[in-house]
Amino acid sequence: MTNTILWTIVILTVLGLLLSLILFWVAKKFKVEEDPRIDEVEKVMPGANCGGCGFAGCRAFADAAVHAPNLDNNYCPVGGNEVMKKVADILGYQVTEKAPMVAVVRCNGSCQNRPVVNEYDGDMSCRVKAALYSGDTGCAFGCLGCGDCVNACQFGAISMNPETGLPVVDETKCTACGACAKACPKHVIEIRNAGTTPRNTRRVYVSCVNKDKGGVARKACTAACIGCGKCAKVCKFDAITIQDNLCYIDYAKCKACGQCVFECPTGAIHAVNFEPKKVEPKPVQPVEPVKKEAANE
Amino acid sequence: MNKLTFSIGGVHPNDNKRARECAIEVLPLPKTVYVSMAQHLGAPAKPIVAVGDFIKTGQVIAEPGGFISAFVHSPATGTVKSIAPRKDLAGNNVMHIEITVSEEEIWADGIDLSDTLVTEIPEDKAATLDKIKACGVVGLGGATFPTHVKLNPAPGSKAECLILNGAECEPYLTSDYRIMLERTKEIVVGAAIMQKVLGGCRCVIGIEENKPEAIEAMSKAVSELGYKDIKVQVLKKRYPQGGEKQLIDAVMKRQVKSGALPISVGAVVQNVATALAVYEAVQKNKPLITNTLTITGDCMPDNRQHNYLFRIGVPLSFIVDYAGGIPEQAAKMISGGPMMGRAIANLDAATVKGSSSVLFLSEGATRRKAESSCIRCGRCADACPMGLEPFLLHRLYKAGDVAELEKASAQDCIECGCCLYSCPANIPLLDRIRQAKGMALGAIKARAAAAKAAAEAAKAAAEAKK
Repeated sequence: MTNTILWTIVILTVLGLLLSLILFWVAKKFKVEEDPRIDEVEKVMPGANCGGCGFAGCRAFADAAVHAPNLDNNYCPVGGNEVMKKVADILGYQVTEKAPMVAVVRCNGSCQNRPVVNEYDGDMSCRVKAALYSGDTGCAFGCLGCGDCVNACQFGAISMNPETGLPVVDETKCTACGACAKACPKHVIEIRNAGTTPRNTRRVYVSCVNKDKGGVARKACTAACIGCGKCAKVCKFDAITIQDNLCYIDYAKCKACGQCVFECPTGAIHAVNFEPKKVEPKPVQPVEPVKKEAANE
Repeated sequence: MNKLTFSIGGVHPNDNKRARECAIEVLPLPKTVYVSMAQHLGAPAKPIVAVGDFIKTGQVIAEPGGFISAFVHSPATGTVKSIAPRKDLAGNNVMHIEITVSEEEIWADGIDLSDTLVTEIPEDKAATLDKIKACGVVGLGGATFPTHVKLNPAPGSKAECLILNGAECEPYLTSDYRIMLERTKEIVVGAAIMQKVLGGCRCVIGIEENKPEAIEAMSKAVSELGYKDIKVQVLKKRYPQGGEKQLIDAVMKRQVKSGALPISVGAVVQNVATALAVYEAVQKNKPLITNTLTITGDCMPDNRQHNYLFRIGVPLSFIVDYAGGIPEQAAKMISGGPMMGRAIANLDAATVKGSSSVLFLSEGATRRKAESSCIRCGRCADACPMGLEPFLLHRLYKAGDVAELEKASAQDCIECGCCLYSCPANIPLLDRIRQAKGMALGAIKARAAAAKAAAEAAKAAAEAKK
């Protein structure tokens, strides 16, 4: 009895030692040399694995960053400049700072602005809906309201506003990874700069993507851009272009003076993060200080 | 006679052919017609008329925009008012030519408008094909694939059997049934013309058993006209009997492989309405500017069911108004059959070559029930006529696994809707599988394009070496 136990222990010990030696040899022989910096870079990454950088996940990004000659094409939108500085420190590269970005919903077709003309009864998915027809309203370009962007967001930054039926971006949570913009079959969501400068979060954008002629667009939605061009005329910085009956504000040129906002006859141009207006009806006042500030820069 | 049918899957919806006794009426022309440039499969046609031009009925107004494309002709006499994007029935912008119809109708030269039956089949195949192409004939069974391309198989493939599709397996639709009764001989001559073009193969006219009058009339016409190798085949009533691959399976007992064309098993399938269009094109030189449409539905009163011969380009709203307006209980309007048709989001849309019906369905007939979980009963797999596993495709679509979707043959889905029809959990299977099919096809196309680019690069490199 004692013998059996003894033999068992001896055999298993010897076997264990032998196998461990083989494993040790295999591990030495077939060791994959990996740049230790990959691990280091991965540690400072946000770890969201969202794919916003264009790579499969944070480790794939780290791998690419380590093997790239510079960091020009690799930027983590989620971590932003802070994380990229850390990455640059580890790799000894220079990092060009990028202005913080944010997702912007370019549709203002709420139930009041854009009357529903038919009813959808199929699968509640924008993608399926877009493949079937143009949408519940007369507008063939705007938000479909099934929330594919909400499902795509890993950071809980987008939610549907039950009153308007449109998605709302929580700017404090949005990392500008771009997953929502990719998920939107109508390309309503755009990744724009979070402000005109990193310090100044004021910004102006056209909240419409309708390319129909003015009359058609207006009939479908009272808040549509009708491509009248008033905003482009009033803009002093050549930031506004009109293509296919639709205005677009180039955020690189826009100084957020807000002139176009007052000029737009349909209210399609939105101003965000401006101080609350002091005078209610025609607030010309806030325009002045903004212009000064823009001139100062 | 032995009744045939396809070997797997299928469902038995109630056929509801309520407009079967309604003879075809000629629909008058409205003041304005809108002719779509994208009413066939393939590249959109290019307009060749300018705003302000006076055009005659049957005149060419747009030419093909590619190899797989078709001529478009004016359905009316009048002046071109505009050439601009207009919303189609799904609400998407499509280029349309707007024509203001003048009171007097002048037909383009060379069109034979008489009713006399021309039974002599022209010998010259190339000339016949040219005529079919010039008259803008496309498949009227639903896919609107240009007929001249289909009748001209790639070198090396030989057509053994021309199958004429008179199954009309979709519930409610009766337009094919009516033309089989009223234009019987023209259809048979059309079949004989196509038979000749294909090099003298045999021809089988497949008709479902729920249309005994059509079977009788067609059989009689076939024996009277006495063309070689044409016969009428009775098919069992089963949906989707009229699907191309299902019809080939039923008639020839051959299966078309995944991704292959029917010609790979020696079959060419054409709809009976296409045969009529071919007859008119070849024997009468008449372009495809009219088609037959059923206006029906479960909430349409019996006295308002109609089969109309309409000019292609007439707005749907005009047809509906002419038929007495939208019935009160209507909850959904569908263009096409209730199984595969598309809901009409914009009734102002113009009719196209493939328009086959306007259906008005009541709340009870169309409202989808709340979706619940899949209970793995397998009814969808039993119903699928392509032998797919819809429940699996659904799960893979949810997971976004394109590689597995391709392995599970999502690309073979014919979008017949049998899975959705049979699902006890009311899962919108078709909605999602249609997306899955798109994903799988996208992956296959991307791979093919990459392979082509690589082959070209290798060829260029080899030439550079020389």
